[in-house]
Amino acid sequence: MKRKEFLGRLIGELTNFMLEGNPLRLVVSLHQEEDGAHISFFDDIPRSKKELDKIRKSLNPKTQRPELAQYYGQMAGHDMAWEARLNLIGWQIKQASVSNTDSGLQIDIWLGSDAFKPENFTLDMKI
Amino acid sequence: MERTEKSLYTIMLIFILGLAVTGLALDGPVTTLQGFLHLQIRGARLINDFTQAGVGAAMFNAALVGLIGLTIVFFATISLSGPTIAAIFTMIGFGFFGKTPLNILPIIGGVWIAARVTRNTLGSYSLIALFGTALGPVVTFIMFEIGLPLISSIPLGIFSGLFAGFILPGVAGSILQLHQGYNLYTTGFSCGFIGLFVSGLLVASNKMEPMTIIWNTAAEPALYLLIPILSVLLIISALIIDGFANIRETLTELRDLQKLTGRLPTDIFDAGTAGSALINMGLLGLGSSLYVWLVKAPFNGPVIGGMLTVMGFGGFGKTLKNVWPVVVGVVLATLVFGKQLSAPGPILAALFCTTLAPIAGQFGIMAGVIAGFTHLFMVETTAAWHGGLDLYNNGFAGGLTATLIIALLQWYRTNRPREDFQV
Repeated sequence: MKRKEFLGRLIGELTNFMLEGNPLRLVVSLHQEEDGAHISFFDDIPRSKKELDKIRKSLNPKTQRPELAQYYGQMAGHDMAWEARLNLIGWQIKQASVSNTDSGLQIDIWLGSDAFKPENFTLDMKI
Repeated sequence: MERTEKSLYTIMLIFILGLAVTGLALDGPVTTLQGFLHLQIRGARLINDFTQAGVGAAMFNAALVGLIGLTIVFFATISLSGPTIAAIFTMIGFGFFGKTPLNILPIIGGVWIAARVTRNTLGSYSLIALFGTALGPVVTFIMFEIGLPLISSIPLGIFSGLFAGFILPGVAGSILQLHQGYNLYTTGFSCGFIGLFVSGLLVASNKMEPMTIIWNTAAEPALYLLIPILSVLLIISALIIDGFANIRETLTELRDLQKLTGRLPTDIFDAGTAGSALINMGLLGLGSSLYVWLVKAPFNGPVIGGMLTVMGFGGFGKTLKNVWPVVVGVVLATLVFGKQLSAPGPILAALFCTTLAPIAGQFGIMAGVIAGFTHLFMVETTAAWHGGLDLYNNGFAGGLTATLIIALLQWYRTNRPREDFQV
């Protein structure tokens, strides 16, 4: 999949998720490198520990599911009318971290080629 | 491979081998193999009940079709879980009325070529390859029923299958956006779309023949018993996998599974335990057997195919809670339009309408009943559009119904004045 469409879908689905909380502030930050990308999402609504665990679990599936990612993953970011489905994203990314900042929720996702190493990325990574 | 996945492979292998051995034992190896070879040279468009040619041959054919599916899952190194189990059960089911090893392999080959061209693995496209075998009749119809000499019709049939398989991934992705995952047999919708063009081409070339219905009404004990026995075996396997000591937890998981909407892609094996998912499949099998018995429909190839598909999707979106409103809708429509519940169209619609279960799961009982009601009169029309070349005709009709309902609901939801910005 072309990089632009892929990023657009992931940003769309995660934005849909964060807008469900009706935040007053939402920031999306993208940092691309040749073999991968890092996207950060920030809002102003802190989540409970249970909610954070649920988001973390959806974005970090136990196993890779290429058969689901390639086919059904195409629905990510296309549909803003119903609730967001973070598992559609989880199958397609390398890694995600989820935490509360001083003001609200922060979600970081890393994506890239098979050779992509999130730990070598120039931005700090929180897990 | 995890222990649970090994157990699932064992269950699938026992089922497939059991089916093949039963087939060989029922009619004897020679008669079964002769019948099996005879099935390979049929056009196999809808509705072509393979049990009419021999129950043993149909079972043996279904087992081989299922074995091909299981082999692909194994070598594509993808999980044997809800989606892949649904695909293999569906393939086995349609091995009773349309799919043969001969007509599915070119389709799978075409999807594999598409994967190579786009630099993806077959694993990534595996579900499209497995479900895409619904277009198998395109291959055998062109090979054996359009009146060309075999020396040209056989290569043409293979090429057509490869081409249909090659374009399927592109079509399937776009079709999915139309119904947003509310039609479980979404590849059937895509195959029907492609089938429209193939059928149009055949009509334009004066090569299309009218559809016929081959429907076995003979009482066959092996077919009566197949689904109930399989369902009970699945339930017993579930208790073994999860552990008899953990039965309370398994039943709690089963209860929680009923809360799922079932919208694609809901892997029920991931959402609960493997045991709870297998019990869900078994209960759906017993429920559908009970329905077929109550309406006095024959337990023939297509009906067995329908029940196996319902069971398979018990691992991939269907639960007892989200299927019944849609079935009620089909039953109501059947009665309103003065049809018989046991007639070919209504009985198959009652089983396969469960493709729309996510609508009931997400939007409630009334939406499910409306979807089922609409589905019946649509499904009886759509088969003629693609000339019976798409075996998942209910997936095609279900896709149209889901698209209509979702379009209307989406329009309503995106125009809620109370949630707009204040002027």
